[in-house]
Order: sequence, then C-alpha cells, then structure tokens
Amino acid sequence: MFGYYNDTFRYEVGDILVETERIDGLLTYRRRCEGRAFERILVSKTGRLIINPVEPVNLPKDITDFLLVEFSPMFIEPGAIQTIYLKFPVEIGVFLEAAKDIKVLDIFGAGSQKYTLYGPPTNGIIARWYRSAVYSEIPSVERFREGTLELSIQNTTREWVEVSRVVFKSVNMKIYYDDTVAAVTTMKIVSPTMAETNFVDTPLMPGMTRSIELYKARKIPVIERGYLMEWGFS
Amino acid sequence: MMFNATAIQNMPTGVGAITVGDLLWFVIIIVVGVAIAKVISINVRRALTERLPKNERELLTKVIYYIIVIWVVIIALPYLNVDLSGLLVAGGIAGLVIGFASQSVVSNLVSGLFLMFEHPIKIGDNINVAGISGSVEDVRILSTIVKTYDGIYTRIPNEKVFTSNITNYVHNAVRRFEYSIRIRYEDDADTAIRITKGVIATHPFALKNPAPSVFVDKIGENGINLTARIWAPTRNWWEVRVELLREIVKKLEENGIDIPYPQRTVQFRDDLRVTTGKEEE
Repeated sequence: MFGYYNDTFRYEVGDILVETERIDGLLTYRRRCEGRAFERILVSKTGRLIINPVEPVNLPKDITDFLLVEFSPMFIEPGAIQTIYLKFPVEIGVFLEAAKDIKVLDIFGAGSQKYTLYGPPTNGIIARWYRSAVYSEIPSVERFREGTLELSIQNTTREWVEVSRVVFKSVNMKIYYDDTVAAVTTMKIVSPTMAETNFVDTPLMPGMTRSIELYKARKIPVIERGYLMEWGFS
Repeated sequence: MMFNATAIQNMPTGVGAITVGDLLWFVIIIVVGVAIAKVISINVRRALTERLPKNERELLTKVIYYIIVIWVVIIALPYLNVDLSGLLVAGGIAGLVIGFASQSVVSNLVSGLFLMFEHPIKIGDNINVAGISGSVEDVRILSTIVKTYDGIYTRIPNEKVFTSNITNYVHNAVRRFEYSIRIRYEDDADTAIRITKGVIATHPFALKNPAPSVFVDKIGENGINLTARIWAPTRNWWEVRVELLREIVKKLEENGIDIPYPQRTVQFRDDLRVTTGKEEE
C-alpha cells in the first residue's frame, strides 16, 4: 500500500480498503478502515497520491506532538550502551502532491489509541501511549499496525538506572518504510531522572524509503531538536 | 579671522535676554531628548510585540514617547527664559484634578500591565473571573474581553480581573472529572466496577496515567454509590466526559446492572385490612 500512485488503484487488506476510482470523469478517493470511512472527490490532472506511514499522534484527534513507549523495566549499568528493539504504533498518511504543493488528504490507522500524561498535572505533557515488549533483534511486526523502533540507550551517569519508558517528540520523527515500517532512535541518560531522546535520520535496513512528515506537508516550521525527558524514565 | 565661541554663545538673539548659547542648548536638549524618546519607544514596541495587540502596543508606545518629549521640553524651556513656576502651580492643580478623575483608569492600566506580565490568562483560555465564566477573547490594556459560554460579549475592567480569584480551567494539561454511579443492592458492585473500568480503558482520551479510579463510595438509601474519577486532556475533557458516561450506562445496562429507583420499606404495627365505606356504616 505504501508508495506513489498516479492513477486509479485499489488496495484491500483485512479491514483496510484504500482506492481511487474514476466515475464520470471524476476521480474519487475512498478509504475504509475498521468501520470508519472517508471519501473525497479529487480534481487533478497532474497530481499524484502518496501513501506512507506518518507520526503516530493524530488519531482519533490531533492533541499532542509526543509519543511515549512503555516497556518492561530494565536496569542499565553506568557507562553502558545497549541497542534494543521496540514496537511503535503506525498511522497511515495519504498525501496529494502537485508540482509545487503537497497536502494531507487523510490519516487513518488500525487498532485503538490511548493517551497518557508524562510529568506532573501542572506542567506535564500529553503523549500517545503505547506498550511494547523488549526485543534483542528486529521483531516481526503486524504490518500497517506497528513498526520497529531501534533504540540505542546510553547511560552516561555514574549510577545504575532503571528505564521503562521513552518519550519522543513526533516532529523529530524520521520514519522509513518498505515492507515494514521502522525508525532509529537514541536515548542518552544524562542524569538519574533526565534523558535526551532523538531520531536518527537513517533507515533501519538498506533500501528503505523515507516517509513524508506531516509537519512538512502542513508547512509548519519546526526546529528539529531532540526531546529532554525531565520527569524520569521509569 | 579669529573664531570666538564664547562671544558667539553670549551674543543676544534679540528676543528678550536669550543668547545664541541658550538657543543652542534648547535645541540640543530637544534633539537629544526626542532621539532618546524615539529609541525608548522603539524598544518598548519591540519588547511588547508578543505581549500586546498591535493597536494597544502602538497606543502605549505613543504615550511613552510623548511623556518623554513633554518632560524634555519642560527641562529645556528655562533656557528660553520661560518661567515654569506658574505652570508648575497650574500643573499641580491640574494634576490633582486629573489624578482624581483618572484614578480608576490608571488602576485598570496598571492592572492590565501586571496581567500581561504575569500571564494568569491567555487568549482562548476558559476561565471564571468575578463570577463570569467563558473564554478569553482579548486581554487589553484597560479591560479583558470574555465571551461567555452562551456567546455574550463581556468586558471586565482589568482591576477587577487582577484583584479577583481567577480560575483558569485550561492552564494545566490535564484535569479530572468524576461520576457518581448508583447501582441496585442486588447488583454485584465488583462486576459494575470491572465493567466501568473496562469502558474507561477503551476510551483513547481517558488517560492511562494518572490512572482512573472506580470505587464504592457510599451505601446509599436506595442503592450502592460508585464513584469513578477520570483524568482527561484539558482541551477535550468535556467530550470525554459526555462520551464515557453514555458508554458506561450502556454497558452496565447490557450486563443487567440498572440504576435503582427510590424505594421505601414501610412496616405496619397491625396487619393491613381493606375496608370500604359500607362496612363502616
């Protein structure tokens, strides 16, 4: 399903149907996903449709820019660097592209969503919550529902630290896809309660294609910086 | 030819006893003063760019500019042999009158400035201040504009806003709400709690953390009172509240758990006997 489409197409897998159809000369985009449907008429001669995974913080409503992945607690010794694999939720973005413009047409995703608070109620942040197991190798994922998150954890402190969650700012997200969806991330523990997280702009496996980010399509200017987790990570 | 600066400075201009030097000092003070006023007003404008709407920013900048210019003119006027003592007396009386008259205006202005720097409310916030609830439309230099929930334009003087208790419903990222759910005595409270927790868990915006809590709160007259406390993002807590309540009631009813009707057990000392009017006759 992910890729570029210049003309009509139809893709149906499980509960997901995405298609464009030409009826009486008018091009219609249609999507159905777990009972929810979306349809738009497209007036276009040169435009094309792009479907790729996007930052998973838009459903059912765009209320935050943060993603929190919770996993089984692990203790990390001082100075250690460890790469683990987690899973993260996938949302699918459909973009309309013309010569000089790109527009978000639709965002959908399978499965349910859950949000949480990271930090205290007075000045914490809302984040999309996702629970993942911890894998030592690239796990097999349910395509169109979840992606693989490579997380390199570095403990720069002089203490043992317990880590069971990681928070990312979605505007920094660099998602790559082919048959699967993946992102490469880092977590640098700078104190027993603080850590810097960031995305690395590199594919998990060679040959993967970089996704178009939502904030770029929406022309939102952002400063790409990592996120400082200042309210702990366990 | 010799150039004698002192002689030129002391040269009379022909207007009273004003010399060229006095005139020069007057001009220099005015030019420097106006330049300082310009610099200060530009910096004030820059500093307030993010904090004030354009029209109010411009007004405040102009007020500061003209206050400095007037002050500079007052400093410079003695060089033109203008006697300001009469002006001072008149100015003092006028100042007293204006001061009394504009007491509330100044109070509102100062309160407005404090509100802008303290930032207890922002445009778009849902607030309750001085008994008025609504969303903030504008925070102006003298007043705050609130649109009440029924769409009424309300202007509140800044002094009132500043000295009142302000409740800002959207200042924090999350807020908690609660339901009181009554079930019958014959229904199982544990099952009702499990079902309620299940419904809350499925709603995306009923937050995972802080965790919701559902518990038996009270043994009531007509049934058992359960209380459910749920945290939701401040911006959409109301829709979460409405959706969840409908869903909880539906799920409880589907599982045979109903809301109890008021009931009263009445005990009679003697057995009840139905009598008719004929028997009494």
